[in-house]
Formats: sequence, C-alpha cells, structure tokens
Amino acid sequence: MTGERLLRILELMAANDRSGETSSLCGVATEITGMSGAGITVFDGDLARGSVCSTNQVSALVEDLQYTLGEGPCVDAHTLGFPVGEADLAAPTVPRWPAFTPPALSGGARAVFGFPVRIGTVRLGALTLYRDQPGVLSDDQHADALVMADVAARSILALQAGAPPGTLSAELDVRADFHLVVHQAAGMVSVQLDVSVTEALLRLRAQAFATGRSINELARDVVDRRLRFGDPAAPDKL
Amino acid sequence: MPKQAVLIRSLVELAGSLVADFDVVDLLTLLADRCVEALDVTAAGVMIAAPAGQLQVVASSSDAMRTLELFQLQSDQGPCVDAYRSGKPVVNQDLSANIGRWPRFSPHAIAAGFRSTHSLPMHLQDKTLGALNMFRADNGSLAPDDVAAAQALADVATIAITQHQATASARALNDQLNHALNSRIVIEQAKGKISEAAHLDMDQAFQRLRHHARNHNLRLTDLARDIAIGTAPAGTLDPLPPQGLRR
Repeated sequence: MTGERLLRILELMAANDRSGETSSLCGVATEITGMSGAGITVFDGDLARGSVCSTNQVSALVEDLQYTLGEGPCVDAHTLGFPVGEADLAAPTVPRWPAFTPPALSGGARAVFGFPVRIGTVRLGALTLYRDQPGVLSDDQHADALVMADVAARSILALQAGAPPGTLSAELDVRADFHLVVHQAAGMVSVQLDVSVTEALLRLRAQAFATGRSINELARDVVDRRLRFGDPAAPDKL
Repeated sequence: MPKQAVLIRSLVELAGSLVADFDVVDLLTLLADRCVEALDVTAAGVMIAAPAGQLQVVASSSDAMRTLELFQLQSDQGPCVDAYRSGKPVVNQDLSANIGRWPRFSPHAIAAGFRSTHSLPMHLQDKTLGALNMFRADNGSLAPDDVAAAQALADVATIAITQHQATASARALNDQLNHALNSRIVIEQAKGKISEAAHLDMDQAFQRLRHHARNHNLRLTDLARDIAIGTAPAGTLDPLPPQGLRR
C-alpha cells in the first residue's frame, strides 16, 4: 500500500514541470491529499527557520502565523514528533493555539493538519495541510500525507546534498522564505533598543502579533526606515 | 525461559532498536549476548568492517571471546574473517580438524577452551557488513534451527545498522543545511546592525562588512557572528574606499 502511494506521489512529482524544485513538494502534497493547500516549515532544533514552500495565500498566511507566533499544527507536529490536526478551527476539540486560531480562521483556513517531516530521528520540520471546510482527514488522506512528508524530507536533503559545503543549495536559497528581512530588521532593532538580536527578534514577533501584521511586512518597514523601535512615540511602547 | 521464547524476545528487542536512536556497539553486544542465551553456544562476538574495509571487533559476549577475536584479526585468519570475505556461512567447524586451514588461530582457540566454531556473514543484499562469530566448548554441531535463528538475529541487527548509517547521513546533511542557514542569518543580522549603527542601506552595509573582513583577513561569517552577538562593534568597521577604488 505504501509502495503504491509512493509511486503516485513520484508520478505527480515527475509530471510536474518543476519536478525537483521545492515548490512541487507543496503542490503535490495538496493534490495527493485533496486539501486546499500545503506548506512546509523547516526548523533548526525547536526554532522555526522558514518555509520551503506554500501553495497559495492562505497557506502562506498559515506558515507565516506559525513562524511569527511559534504555535500551530506544524510546530506541534515537529516538536511532538507525530501528526496533529484540528478538523474545525471554529469549534476545536482541544483548546490550543490561542494566538494562531483566530487569524488562521479569518484568513480562510478551517481545518489544519501537521505532519512531521523527518528521517528516522532526524527532524527537519513539518508539513501543514489546510482545508477551507471543516472535516477530519480520511485514513487514505492521512496515509498519503505521511508518505508525502517522507518524500519531502528526502527531497529537501537531496537538494542540500548538491550544495557546496557551508552554503545553502541554490534551490532552497531562491525558493524558500527564510525570513532574511526579519533578521536584517532584528539587527537594526537591536541597535535601536540596545538589546541582543535574540531579544530584538522577540520584539518584532510581539509587535507583529499585537498589530496583526505579517512579520515580513513589519520587518520591511523597519529596514526601509518607516518604523523605528525605541522611539517614545512608536507603537511598540504599548 | 524456553529457548524459543528467548529467541522471540531477542528478535523483538533487536527490531525495537529500529525505531529509536541507538548505539551500534550496544546493539551488537545485545546480539552477542542473546546468541549465547538463546542458542547452544558458549561465546559469541561480532566483527564489522570499518568504512576502509578493515574488520574490527565491535562486540563480544565475554572477555575471552574478545581476546580471541582480536587474535583472529591480528593473524588475519579464522572463521569470522572467512565468513566476511566469502559472504558465506562457516559453520560446524571442528577446530582441531581445521589446524591446516587456520594454523595460527585454531591452536589458540583450542587453548582458550573452545572446540568448534560457527560464523555467519552479516549481509544486506550484496553488501557484507561483517560477521557473527560463535564458539562452542564442545565439538557438537549446531542444529539447523539454531543456525537459522542465529542468521535471523544477525539479519535484524544488519538492517538496524544499515538504517543507522542512513540516519547518520541524513543527520549530517541536515546539520549542513542548518549550518549554512545560520551563516546566512548571522550575516543578515550583522548587516542590520551595521546599517543602523552607520546609517547605511543594506547593500552598503554588506559591502562594508565584506571590506572589513578582507582588510583584517577574517572570515565573513566569523566577523558577522561577532557583530551579531555584540563582541565586535557594528559602528566602527573600516570605512569603504571611494567608489572608483573599490576592489
């Protein structure tokens, strides 16, 4: 059974013109499971680093929220090491993700599911599937998602295997969103507030959450000097 | 516990190592111990080939066994060496009848108190990883069932080791990915700090970071990390030369 699922996934990947590219991973994950969209977040330890791909604006939002807030299905799937899901974010069976749920819902995600992306005990990150309608995953969808997560893990590492030591594979560098602008902004904010870069990152996250904005957008404002931290009139002094 | 039950428990134990992080030496020591417990043998040991092809003693059920295995490697002869090289079982060999085959090893093994030897290759498809070596204090043959059981135990251990090697290479690649990504991130953070401290745009900040690293023979990532964590000041890097003079 797993062999057949794997074959179908590989056929879909091959049929995709951009096969081998990271974008096809999320596209195939969506197609094989019949969901509304998919995203894949990579982690370094327990720290989310960014998204390898996302299929549409809603999945991009779901990815972004999880990166900014540090909670959601992919964070749990990665941390716990097993699949997690919420069949109806509007009437959750388990009260969790208090910061993630309202903006995810209003952004168009009604059901969300996270699957660990790993090889054995090597944890790379997690795959998030979302659907615009409530409902549980069928056994078939669940099994397909598990195989897909496995393919994703191997594909990401295969991409990196081609890169010269010390450098990021060109494919990941170009296609993935590692929130580099956020780190630029964190550097600036650390000088503005005279705090560590880690503390500055937390401030940026908190500000994004408090104002309901995307962290990349907020960081762009800092980098383009439309927003300063530490100014008494600035909105971070709430 | 009946031998059959010990055997089944041993198989389950070995298979259990497939799902968790495990130590190869621990796993193979378990294999050696369980062979002695579940099968009609006095001592057991495992040799595995290092990446360069050299066999190494990895696990033994007793110290006497370990010494004997080391001797086998030193003299480059014996049942385990033969099983590894041929990829075929070398079982039910009476040591005293094999003095011609292993002139140095056989007398040594007999002096250590053993009478017969039984070695099984540990292979997966066409690749031989090493061999499982068993000795008996009498010269009786191993029952065919015991040979099959020993091979089953060895096979599960072989799969676990192969899996472990695949995981190790996945881990190395993932570490590389994280390392490369972290280098990128500290450079962006340093650019941000320089940009703010020296009132430059991101591109100018990067030029300045590069220029300073080159002037002082520093690695870009090292300098960036020092700036990001604050051990190097962001505001006092070497100024860029005028446009026309830039390298």
